[in-house]
Amino acid sequence: MARLEAPITVGMVAPSFVLHDDAGRPLSSSEARGRPWVLAFARSWRPGGDDPALRAELRGLGAILFIASDTGVWSFRPDDDLELSAAGSARLTRELAELRARWGVPSGEDGVFVIDGDGAVRFALAPSGDLAGALAASLAAAGRALLGLPPRPGITRRDWAVMSLVAGFGVVALHGCRPRAPDRPGEPPPPLSAAAGSDIDVVLRINGQDRRLRIDARVSLLDALRERLALTGTRKGCDHGQCGACTVLRDGRPVNACLTLAVAAQGAEITTIEGLARGDQLHPVQAAFITHDAFQCGYCTSGQILSAVALLRDGRARTDDEVRQQMSGNICRCGAYPNIVAAIQAARKEVV
Amino acid sequence: MKPFSYVRPADADAAIAAAGVQGASFLAGGTTLIDLMRLEVMRPDALVDLGPLPLTAIERHGDGLQIGAMARNSDVAVHPVVVARYPLLAQALLAGASPQVRNMATVGGNLLQRTRCPYFRDLAAPCNKRAPGSGCSAVEGYTRSHAVLGTSASCIATHPSDMCVALAALDAIVHTRRGETTRTIPITALHTLPGDHPEVEHVLEHGELITHVELPASPFAAHARYIKVRDRAAFAFALAAAAVGLDVVGGRIRSARVALGGVATKPWRALEAEQLLAGQAPSRAVFERAAHAALAGARPQRDNAFKITLARRTIVRALELAWGVP
Repeated sequence: MARLEAPITVGMVAPSFVLHDDAGRPLSSSEARGRPWVLAFARSWRPGGDDPALRAELRGLGAILFIASDTGVWSFRPDDDLELSAAGSARLTRELAELRARWGVPSGEDGVFVIDGDGAVRFALAPSGDLAGALAASLAAAGRALLGLPPRPGITRRDWAVMSLVAGFGVVALHGCRPRAPDRPGEPPPPLSAAAGSDIDVVLRINGQDRRLRIDARVSLLDALRERLALTGTRKGCDHGQCGACTVLRDGRPVNACLTLAVAAQGAEITTIEGLARGDQLHPVQAAFITHDAFQCGYCTSGQILSAVALLRDGRARTDDEVRQQMSGNICRCGAYPNIVAAIQAARKEVV
Repeated sequence: MKPFSYVRPADADAAIAAAGVQGASFLAGGTTLIDLMRLEVMRPDALVDLGPLPLTAIERHGDGLQIGAMARNSDVAVHPVVVARYPLLAQALLAGASPQVRNMATVGGNLLQRTRCPYFRDLAAPCNKRAPGSGCSAVEGYTRSHAVLGTSASCIATHPSDMCVALAALDAIVHTRRGETTRTIPITALHTLPGDHPEVEHVLEHGELITHVELPASPFAAHARYIKVRDRAAFAFALAAAAVGLDVVGGRIRSARVALGGVATKPWRALEAEQLLAGQAPSRAVFERAAHAALAGARPQRDNAFKITLARRTIVRALELAWGVP
């Protein structure tokens, strides 16, 4: 399996591109115009626009497909025929090399990126086998994820989170890779004045990665995480700062993401539940919550865990009563409190 | 939420200029403002984000302490000087809200915290504070959480802050700036009583920026206590709260401070109680007389007469614990 070191990460706004054929005609991501689009890098590609499975998936998505192959470039629309093909010019070869570099797909490897209608990268996949054979299945999986549908009946939502990454045919999710150096301080955001209703370019630093967004000032950090960056581990409960389901760490301290404007979170280091584990290695607090059965329905759990991580790092709350007081911003309607306290106390010795 | 323009100012001057525009509001921690904007109880046209401004310092100032307006409640609560010399403030801050909210909420924002009166937060209910002249739903409604001190026919909403009660007892001084003009406002003069205009809650001008809060040297550190009584032991607003301080010399109270929360329309200094305590030897009988004096002017509503008794007992208990009675 190829694991790509891509500077383009899931959740980022996709950069636009333009390629030119031999006659100088452009092939541009701007053709998508608010529709989802797919950018596939291929070692070699035979035009296969008559592939009915692929066409069906594109039609279902309403997506436009761009294929950038070393042997040519193509775009497919769900309702049209092959748009353009071109090969061989020195200009195109140079443009392809730049495009591969920009998207982090080395020459000689395949890669598939799915971009939603808002221009955010929602999937980044590195097919291990033949791209042509994998593409329809990849689009099928990506498309259903974009629509928020399970892959097929009988599969749970949790399974789907995994399925959507592996897509059933041996690909590896490129969850961003390349974290920034942890000691690099957050840069203060520059002065800004944005009119009501206008979109603002925002860079959020989440789980060690910079995420670029274009959002209205009203968007909460919670909605930015869930709706724009596909980081749905952070939960929306009351949306008024009273339940703690949306707890994230801001510069290491728990805050309510629902009461934080995303635009006002620039320059801060945000940690969500997705940022705690190291690969397959759960954070000790996550592991302790499982060991001690510290949840029932699980809806409040990510917020509970982040508050608990901060509590243990802070170190001041030590007795059970102090732990309860310090965890009071996280409500559990299942009433798992005794086991939550037990999990936190058990994880204490493992957390530095 | 109504669309608003967003300004991230380069410095305090730019912030003050931007906030001087009609309809503009400063954004500090956002724990009150964003909540009320989502309910559309507050509908500012513009937010001026104070987050990036360097107003977070907590530093000694002469014999006292100076706390930046953007210092977070959680930082102030554990600051060594606050803990050692202004324990009332540390206790009050830690009694407030949740860890998450304390990590967001600022000193300046907390000074201007809005009431939790459920009718104020309910757009369907008439409310003189939210919609001047529309009437008060609370006076005819369910009044268990409402005020018994400082009320008017127009409004009986309780001031919700814990921090402000401690600051009132500590004679804090609020420093502000607007344009080239700076001024200092004693905390007890910052908030206004509802009277006929409950929509007016403080004496600040539009666009006037709180820069910092000054705490003068306090003789009460050795005998001080904040007690908050509420429906649950954490993350709840006060039914009654008392911040008390005793300066005891030679077995007699030289001076005292008593401030109340959860029972009044503004952070409430009980001057009658303080005068009664001064010159006395500390005792339960003296504490009870002071507590009665503090609530002498209380006017109960239909559902909150219990608060008068509760507040008296809270004052007595706080004074006992401050003095050292187990």
